[in-house]
Amino acid sequence: MEILKILPSRLDIVPDFLSEIVSYLKQNQLEEQKIFEIKLCLEEALVNAIKHGNKLDEELSVSARIRIERNLVEIDVEDQGDGFDPKKLEDPTSEENLCKLGGRGVFLIKEQMDKVEFLDGGCRLKMIKFLKKENL
Amino acid sequence: MEINIQKSSDVVLCAIIGEININNSPDLRKAFDKFISENEKKVVVDFSEVPYVDSSGLATLIEMFQRLKKIDGHLKLSHLDQKVKNIFEITKLNKLFEIYDLKEKAIEDFND
Repeated sequence: MEILKILPSRLDIVPDFLSEIVSYLKQNQLEEQKIFEIKLCLEEALVNAIKHGNKLDEELSVSARIRIERNLVEIDVEDQGDGFDPKKLEDPTSEENLCKLGGRGVFLIKEQMDKVEFLDGGCRLKMIKFLKKENL
Repeated sequence: MEINIQKSSDVVLCAIIGEININNSPDLRKAFDKFISENEKKVVVDFSEVPYVDSSGLATLIEMFQRLKKIDGHLKLSHLDQKVKNIFEITKLNKLFEIYDLKEKAIEDFND
């Protein structure tokens, strides 16, 4: 199953889109923990794309492609912004950053997904969650 | 998301019902603004009916933690769902917040 959506750069559309994807994940009988992790990573990726990538410019859009297979869920989120260097992100778990309000989105994605790749200068995020242990 | 607020002696119990996400975390911030403006210093946030929290929700809680700290107040969290608790552990925010299994224990610790 593959879902492709072109979304406007508006944060208010995120919850409904997430609900739609969660219902597909439930239909595919994914376990609750995996659904939680995929939902969180998809939300963080969309919010980053809309807020930091497209800077909430409603003229720009975000594309989201979700592929659900027997063994994996692959998510591709792309914005139309200027990109960023993921290597420059600080570790939000270090003592000096623990009280900072931002900087946890990409960290959570890296922690919860099994494969994470930033492409096209940081404008495109591709992430994979394996559903069976043997794929890890 | 619904926010139910109760006060017993000088402890404010803030029970959140529903997920905390990018769109409703400003509502949570507004509730916290009210506590600060009323000079409440002992706040327990009950997570027993919170199935999901994202990084914006975490940021709102950190902000509240810092604002309370400035006025010599304290924020305690209780009854986190295991999936939500994992997020606090992964981000190491379990080191920053006092997390209790039960709200009663959090309130009791304030009263001790």
